[in-house]
Amino acid sequence: MSKASLEATVDPEKVQGWITKIGSDTSAAVPLLQAIQSEYGYLPRKAMNLVLEGTEINASQLFGVATFYAQFRLDPVGRHMIKVCHGTACHVQGADRLNTSLRHALGIENPKEDTASNGSYTIENVACIGCCSLAPVMLIDGEAFPNLKGADAQRHLVKHAKSKGEILPGQTGEGDDQSADEKEK
Amino acid sequence: MSGDMVITMGEGTCGIAAGAPEVTKLLKERFPEATFKAVGCIGMCHLEVMVEIATGGKSWLWGNVNKKNLPKIVRFHRGQGDLPEAMLIRSSDTRETERSQYLTRQTRIALRNVGELNPTSMEQFRARDGYSAIEKVIKGGMTPEQVIDEVRIAAIRGRGGAGFPTAVKWGFARGAQGEPKYLVCNGDEGDPGAFMDRSLLEGDPHSVIEGMLIAAYAIGASKGYAYIRAEYPLALKHFAIAMDDARKAGFLGHNILGSNFSFDIKIKEGAGAFVCGEETALLASIEGQRGMPRIRPPFPAIQGVFSKPTIINNVETLANIPWILKNGGAAYARIGTEKSRGTKVFALAGAIKRGGLVEVPMGMTIRQVLEEIGGGSASGRPLKAVQLGGPSGGCIPESLFDTIIDYDAINATGAIMGSGGMVVMDSKSCMVDLARFFLEFTQIESCGKCTFCRIGTLRMKELLTKICDGSGTLEDIATLEELAERVKDASLCGLGQTAPNPVLTTLKYFREEYLAHVTDKRCPGGVCKGLITHTILQDKCTGCSICDRYCPVNAITGELKKPNTWVIDQKICINCGMCVEVCNPDAILAA
Repeated sequence: MSKASLEATVDPEKVQGWITKIGSDTSAAVPLLQAIQSEYGYLPRKAMNLVLEGTEINASQLFGVATFYAQFRLDPVGRHMIKVCHGTACHVQGADRLNTSLRHALGIENPKEDTASNGSYTIENVACIGCCSLAPVMLIDGEAFPNLKGADAQRHLVKHAKSKGEILPGQTGEGDDQSADEKEK
Repeated sequence: MSGDMVITMGEGTCGIAAGAPEVTKLLKERFPEATFKAVGCIGMCHLEVMVEIATGGKSWLWGNVNKKNLPKIVRFHRGQGDLPEAMLIRSSDTRETERSQYLTRQTRIALRNVGELNPTSMEQFRARDGYSAIEKVIKGGMTPEQVIDEVRIAAIRGRGGAGFPTAVKWGFARGAQGEPKYLVCNGDEGDPGAFMDRSLLEGDPHSVIEGMLIAAYAIGASKGYAYIRAEYPLALKHFAIAMDDARKAGFLGHNILGSNFSFDIKIKEGAGAFVCGEETALLASIEGQRGMPRIRPPFPAIQGVFSKPTIINNVETLANIPWILKNGGAAYARIGTEKSRGTKVFALAGAIKRGGLVEVPMGMTIRQVLEEIGGGSASGRPLKAVQLGGPSGGCIPESLFDTIIDYDAINATGAIMGSGGMVVMDSKSCMVDLARFFLEFTQIESCGKCTFCRIGTLRMKELLTKICDGSGTLEDIATLEELAERVKDASLCGLGQTAPNPVLTTLKYFREEYLAHVTDKRCPGGVCKGLITHTILQDKCTGCSICDRYCPVNAITGELKKPNTWVIDQKICINCGMCVEVCNPDAILAA
């Protein structure tokens, strides 16, 4: 599956529904974007345009807000989301290695990319998620994995991928299981 | 025999992350007749998953419970096995254990209910005198001025970090003109390494609501906002449930407790911007704008959200308020030091044996917190420093661990009390890398309004990166110091004014580490990738090839099961440390 096909199909009625529920004045900008993002995982251009048409919010404010806050993203995401915590406690206990080993397993080499080439997973760094005593921590689709080393992160990812029928395009330390699966398919 | 059994599970974010749902499921299978209760995080995060089992008038609190060791407690409670000492935190039979000391050395006021009740149970909250303070205020006929006076006697200072006296702030808003007035609860806990507000919001949301009610009554606010980070889904959920229940019980809405005081709260989800901890930036965010600070005055107490008088109080401050009104300001003021009254909650993390949430009286020394509560170093290596106050704070070296917890005493070290993040570092941490970490954080989080904060922090980060990479010079250190002063002076809000603190305090106390990076090209902590090399110790290597399999750049080669053939190609190696992590016989040296 290519990355272009990760673009979401936006349902105008849904967007209108959020505007009706949340409001159409300028103070609704943040919650409206949050509603869109939680539905699609990112902010599709079409949904943003619908907000501009249906509210008092102008393009400068809407895009200004969308690019200001860390929560929002304008690019599509993979089918699953990995969030690696980079709070202080996670940093001093080696959170960087989680990224190294996860990216290796996902075959993401370009430092500017964050999504695997087959659209399976997106890795995002997040500021503290507040589980500092269990550092380093990551979340896969919202489920937390505590006290990780780089290799543990990879093992959890391999397990998750198997349970979801996803293929990891990169290499893992688990041996050849993955490539064997890949050949089968 | 499990008929009268009550099993209490800690189901805060930490507990869930550590695997509480799975343990609960297994326990329900083993003890189907038992009554299960879920409570918030008691703060002993290092012992999660925790389970309290009460039966036959006795109780046992178990720690670090997992799928593997669970059968031991199951057997014990069925009378078929010995008491698994290693898992016991405390029981109704035993005296204090080293583990339970973590709790007994604390003074829990803000955290009085956290871990003791089901956070979303109005009934349990009422049973612990919840909402009795607002009842005392309204039914007892206290005037708003009397409420402010009580808080003045308590002398509580804002727990968000700045330490401004709460009663003074309330007084400004009380006297301000304009309707409606707003009361905002600041739960945008952005400090990486801090989770006090998360625990309060998810573990005892009703106390925060009660604090908001009292504050609103005192300043005459009719509208409230609870600004809570989107990264805290459980806090948002529990707070919303508590708000609904409070509304149903008549504590929120019109004519509260039959008086003419009306107040209601809306939740605003923070979208991830550290600068929104600054009050004027937070207000801009509530109004739907980019969270950029503005010049004060006018202060929010006079002109805040939607240009109306607004008070912004931190979650922990608000959680203390009901206790103060119920027990009297004087009782609160008896705890602590002369200029810092009461208690402070800290999130203890990093290289510490027992990490978690601790609430201690002001005046306790940092060493007492680290040793008597935290149990000292986790690794056994000596502790080197403690970082207080996150990106706005600084590092306090081991030689100053006898500093007391007090706003002024901590400020004198160059660090700040901050909101309560306390990250502990041992000898294997690099202070230059830590300074770089925080500068990278503030640089990303700078809103961009002030030039020195926007560009200055970037230049500082570049200099620190250069030093960490091993290409720094003595001149870079001098430039760094000069820039630090400029950024402090030329920034509008707290973010920029305090951003250089991590650099200045590490330069002050750990200058020799900077010099080691610059002149000896050596990282004493063994952290900075540009200054270490990884080599395989032939005499320890077993030739298992696991390092090769985990190496992300294929820098390691050798023949399977032939130890003396394995080498790391230094030209390819990125010093990520994955090989060290996976090597079982510790055959890889990073130095």
